[in-house]
Amino acid sequence: MCSSCGFPAAAGHWTETGAVDAGGRLRARYRRSAVLKRVLAGTGLAAHDGGIIPGIQLSTASGSTMIVTDLEEFWREAERLMGRPLDPLSPDFLGGRTCG
Amino acid sequence: MTDAADGEGRMRLTVVGGFLGSGKTTWLRHQLHAGYLRDAYVIVNEAAETPVDDALLGQSADLEVLAGGCACCDGLSGLLSALRRLCDRRSQSRSDGGRLERIVLETSGLADPAPIVQAIRADPLLVHHIVVSEIIVAVDALNAAAHLRTEALGRRQVEIADRLLLTKVDAAPREDVVQLMATLARLNPGADLSGTILGSLADLPDATGVEGEVLPMLGDGPAPAPIFPTRLKLDDEIDWTVFAVWLSALLHARGDDVLRVKGVIRTPAGRLLLQSVRRIVQSPEILPSRDGDEALDDDMIVVIGRGYRAEDLSCSLKAFAGVRTKD
Repeated sequence: MCSSCGFPAAAGHWTETGAVDAGGRLRARYRRSAVLKRVLAGTGLAAHDGGIIPGIQLSTASGSTMIVTDLEEFWREAERLMGRPLDPLSPDFLGGRTCG
Repeated sequence: MTDAADGEGRMRLTVVGGFLGSGKTTWLRHQLHAGYLRDAYVIVNEAAETPVDDALLGQSADLEVLAGGCACCDGLSGLLSALRRLCDRRSQSRSDGGRLERIVLETSGLADPAPIVQAIRADPLLVHHIVVSEIIVAVDALNAAAHLRTEALGRRQVEIADRLLLTKVDAAPREDVVQLMATLARLNPGADLSGTILGSLADLPDATGVEGEVLPMLGDGPAPAPIFPTRLKLDDEIDWTVFAVWLSALLHARGDDVLRVKGVIRTPAGRLLLQSVRRIVQSPEILPSRDGDEALDDDMIVVIGRGYRAEDLSCSLKAFAGVRTKD
């Protein structure tokens, strides 16, 4: 844990396993950030992870930004900021996609 | 069950659950007697103040009884303390032999295994030392059909099991056993089912094509939808990072409906074993690499749940991956 910012407060989140070295971890963070941007498109929220600041930055359309520690907190906060449930299986999210 | 030496240095915890009188202790006693769990530390939880099971389980050298509180609620802090003591003891022992690698927890008949798994996952110390390797639930062939009709707890126990032990199969009529097998397959299609008589393995009749009983709803609200398994194949476009983001979102939104997620995923770090019970995801462990037939099931994830359409899972996952689909 960093003695200045107290981050991370807990052991690594389960979603952050799977990388062997620092480069792999950074690549996984960039990729995660790209996926989150795609998922949040059209919601008025944006996700950013530049690989320097720990955690994920979650911003609203007005520019206010918060840092969340892991994806569990990310979805909770995104839902709170949106004011409605964020359900990946909802018709809203699937948007009429038909998948085989 | 995965071999005890596989788990990244963490101890493997097997949870043995099941309704009151379902035959948990009988099965465990037979396993100990036959020497299958000789290296395990056994913790027995009893809801009553006066323990009985420890007398029955005398064969185990390492046995601890936590009496007077169910380990999923009142007795949870006692269980966590006992597990922390085991972690301490193990840290002080040599790693080249004689170190404790396996713990077996027999829960009381009133325990829901899910909160126990959740508590271990949430404990900052235990999560690094213990991995829940299997949830075994004993189901009484004589009485389970009645319990499942009336007891929500009995259903919850069956729903989250990795392995169901159908006990006392010699005591129940064959047609009842077949019917119960079909009902269990309806409640938890992903669990392995084996029959036992006094703890020894026994053959089960063929229940192919038999319709499981539609259980009545309990309490208020609409009847629960049937539980079904869905297989998801990961490929180049859907890698571990995409899948982890998607699964975290899915469990956040649908954690009450998605009962189990299981599978082995190939990552740069190796083969990750992923397991979840409702909203709780075990920290994934790295399995030894394997070639050939045994690796064929890699990157195939099984999601067991209810209340959604199977095709929506893959559709939603593809949307997270940015894979173009037909509009």
